[in-house]
Amino acid sequence: MLSVNRLSVHYGPIRALDAASIRIGRGEFVALLGPNGAGKTSLISGIAGLVRAQGRVLFEDREIGALPTEDRVRRGLTMTPEGRHVFANLTVAENLRLGAAIRRDREGVAQDIEKYLGLFPILRERNHQLAGTLSGGEQQMLAIARSMMSRPRLLMLDEPSLGLAPRIVAQMFDYISLLKEAGVTLLVVEQNVMQALKHADRAYVISSGIIRHEGKAEELRSDRRLIDMYLGN
Amino acid sequence: MSVTTQTRSAQKTLAPWMRSLVGGLVTALPVILIGIVILLFAPAYLVRVAFAAYVNLLIVLGLQIFMGNSMVANLGQGAFVGIGAYSVAILATPVAMKKLSIPDAPFGLADIVLHPALAAGAGLGITGLIAALTGLVIARLSGEAATIVTFSLMMVVHSIFIQWTDLFKGAQAFFGIPQVVGLATAIGAATLATIIARLFKDSASGLHLRASAESLLAARAFGVDVFRLRLLAWILGAVICASGGILYAFFMGTINARAFHFELVMTTLAMLILGGMRTVSGAVFGCIALALLLEAIRSVESGIAVAGFQLPPLLGLSGLAMGAIIVLGMTFRPRGIFVRLELDELLWRLFARRQPRAITEGKPI
Amino acid sequence: MDYAIQQGLNALAFGSEYALIALGLALVYSIMNLMNFAHGEIIACAGYSMYLAILIGIGSPWLVAPIAIAAGALVAVLFERIAFRPVRHAPTTTGLLTALGVSIVVQNLLTLLISPRPRAVPVFSELSRTIFIGPYAISLLQLLELAVVALAIGGLVLFLKHSTLGLAIRAATREFSTVRLMGIRANRVIATAFALSGLLAGIAAIFIIARRGSIDPTFGFQPVIKAFIACVIGGFGSLGGAVLGGMLLGFLDVAIIVLLPQEYGGLRDAIAYSIIAGLLVWRPEGLLTRRIELGDKEI
Ligand SMILES: Nc1ncnc2c1ncn2[C@@H]1O[C@H](COP(=O)(O)OP(=O)(O)OP(=O)(O)O)[C@@H](O)[C@H]1O
Ligand SMILES: [Mg+2]
Repeated sequence: MLSVNRLSVHYGPIRALDAASIRIGRGEFVALLGPNGAGKTSLISGIAGLVRAQGRVLFEDREIGALPTEDRVRRGLTMTPEGRHVFANLTVAENLRLGAAIRRDREGVAQDIEKYLGLFPILRERNHQLAGTLSGGEQQMLAIARSMMSRPRLLMLDEPSLGLAPRIVAQMFDYISLLKEAGVTLLVVEQNVMQALKHADRAYVISSGIIRHEGKAEELRSDRRLIDMYLGN
Repeated sequence: MSVTTQTRSAQKTLAPWMRSLVGGLVTALPVILIGIVILLFAPAYLVRVAFAAYVNLLIVLGLQIFMGNSMVANLGQGAFVGIGAYSVAILATPVAMKKLSIPDAPFGLADIVLHPALAAGAGLGITGLIAALTGLVIARLSGEAATIVTFSLMMVVHSIFIQWTDLFKGAQAFFGIPQVVGLATAIGAATLATIIARLFKDSASGLHLRASAESLLAARAFGVDVFRLRLLAWILGAVICASGGILYAFFMGTINARAFHFELVMTTLAMLILGGMRTVSGAVFGCIALALLLEAIRSVESGIAVAGFQLPPLLGLSGLAMGAIIVLGMTFRPRGIFVRLELDELLWRLFARRQPRAITEGKPI
Repeated sequence: MDYAIQQGLNALAFGSEYALIALGLALVYSIMNLMNFAHGEIIACAGYSMYLAILIGIGSPWLVAPIAIAAGALVAVLFERIAFRPVRHAPTTTGLLTALGVSIVVQNLLTLLISPRPRAVPVFSELSRTIFIGPYAISLLQLLELAVVALAIGGLVLFLKHSTLGLAIRAATREFSTVRLMGIRANRVIATAFALSGLLAGIAAIFIIARRGSIDPTFGFQPVIKAFIACVIGGFGSLGGAVLGGMLLGFLDVAIIVLLPQEYGGLRDAIAYSIIAGLLVWRPEGLLTRRIELGDKEI
């Protein structure tokens, strides 16, 4: 479904990502693991077109490397950025509406809104509250629901568990697994290595801008040496 | 990386302040050279044009000292240019002249006259004082608030010039100022100001101020007294702007409040930003470039003969060209001509890069 | 009493005109941090479109007014496309200088192509009539101005609250790249904001013309300076702040005219600007800004 070939990202003289290649099959849940500053955000931002990147990005067998972000999203690939990038000055309902901005099927949109308000009941309670006033966990749920409103086929989540309490983290991963069951392909950046490996099918390990390892999640989970080396647990 | 190390080693022989001094001189070199050429060869009307350009350069440098280091906008420099000019006009104009122009001046100012040098010193002092007072407020501001407050400062000072006719002759021209300076003085002053601006930029104060522009919080956390440094830069910049006004008054002999208003502010601001406001070289070259271009266009505007045909005057052409230059300049060099490195630093780099290549070429293995 | 009401209405009319222009500035500023100095030339172009419309024989105010509004929107979008798009990610001073450059270019183009001298635009002379409401003599123009500005602001609020593009504009004030992640085209959002600001400028141009009856190349300069100040006082980037600042400035203008003795007329500016500076020293962030974070403006 997604095939990234030797993608590099530079910020001025800093090389944040160095010829990274990854592949993701349809319906897979892939984790992207690595220490701080490894280049995880740079990789998925490069895939989403938010930063300038050299290399090839094939999405559903079509080259999308030259397209602006908006067009990549319109083709069914989207990303939920790191941190709480909800539209703080808009209400929850307005956030969700903007998430569906590219869709023309009013009924479908209304159904989806119902669906995600059902999945995250707390959002229904806060529906007409400004998103900026939600708690961190609620904002993260809103950000994910908002991304889903565009009906992406590939969703990239950047540290969905950032700043959440352990119990909420587990809950968040349950939600993400629900998305997978709904047929969405997932690429999830995580610091929470064990949680991520528990739910993911496969994982890539990245450090200093280079993909160091790729493998099945279970295998990685039992490979203490690798985890110690790159992920420092 | 390696280039910078080489630059460092090449410059290491000099003490830091000496390096800044030399750097300032290198930057000022074109200022001096162009000036000498004009002094030697140019017709009288060009000398006037050049003089105005040197006054502008002083103002641009004054602007750079505050804006370029603190990255806080300033639209008020016209006020200080005007204060400098009117100070010497009031203090140095002969009494007989003042009996005609401002007979009712308060504080007995109509009855005294100072030596021009003394008047200039007083002008700088008055400006410094007013800058210190206004700076107490302005040094606390940044962003849009600073833009509007500095602009307000200029508007207030301008209104006072216009309204207080007993002292400033209002909207009419103030005439009879002794014409005691020539182009050579302006060249000297501009050179000096270039060096001062550079020394300030490279001084500990300048460095801290620039650091505060990158991150106010971080600089504060490191104990940098941002307020004091901004105040310092504000006063220094104001005094240099005033020196421009003083020279202008002493050269022209006649001044008018309109000359220190919006148009001056915009022209000098454009020069600074086009050149690159973070560097002194930017101030110098932005000024030179825009002054040259404007003069060239102005001569077309007033109607020139091309291939035997007299073109009619085209009112608005010079403005059009200036605007176009600004827009294009910003499109292609959004951060100005000299973004971060000064002219001498760029030259050093070039030199340092050439050197090793020359050696390897000289000794084939 | 009559006099006070008359002056109050005056102040409201001035204030709403400033508010209209300030809103346009704030709209553009809030999504791309651009202090659009060339806004005055949008107003001027809208004004000249009326002049040209009359020149080619369109005399009805009902036709001329929409032409001005459309011209304002069109010119604003053109400015964005030609001049501001290339400097979208540059530092604020760059945008400011570009806007200044555009303003100089347009002013001089108008000078070159039309005339440096004022030209009469006598299309709205009907409006300077006085009407009587009960015992009060009220200028029709002021009444209309108040009504139209209220309508325009109401329309703008509805648009920003309910249309997708409106929502996107509001969202983009803080989270520009996240808006793009919704698949919404950044260029569309910015162009819409410019078009709206131009539309408001067009409306403002109509009223300024109606009051003055003539137009010259520096037509937009004064009102825009005032609108700028209104924005900053209100809190730059805050739309409510722009309206509040505009109204405040209108009242300040009228109060100074009414209260200042004739012989100090020349100090009008000095006093106005001193008060403005004082306000900003007291509240540097403006009256209404909630500056939680300015959001990401890189992309
Ligand atoms: N806009 C930028 N400008 C300059 N350098 C950047 C920028 N964004 C990221 N970097 C640098 O690029 C490198 C990789 O950053 P990136 O954000 O991709 O890391 P990450 O793996 O997402 O880290 P984290 O887990 O902390 O989010 C880091 O060294 C970072 O400092
Ligand atoms: Mg990251």
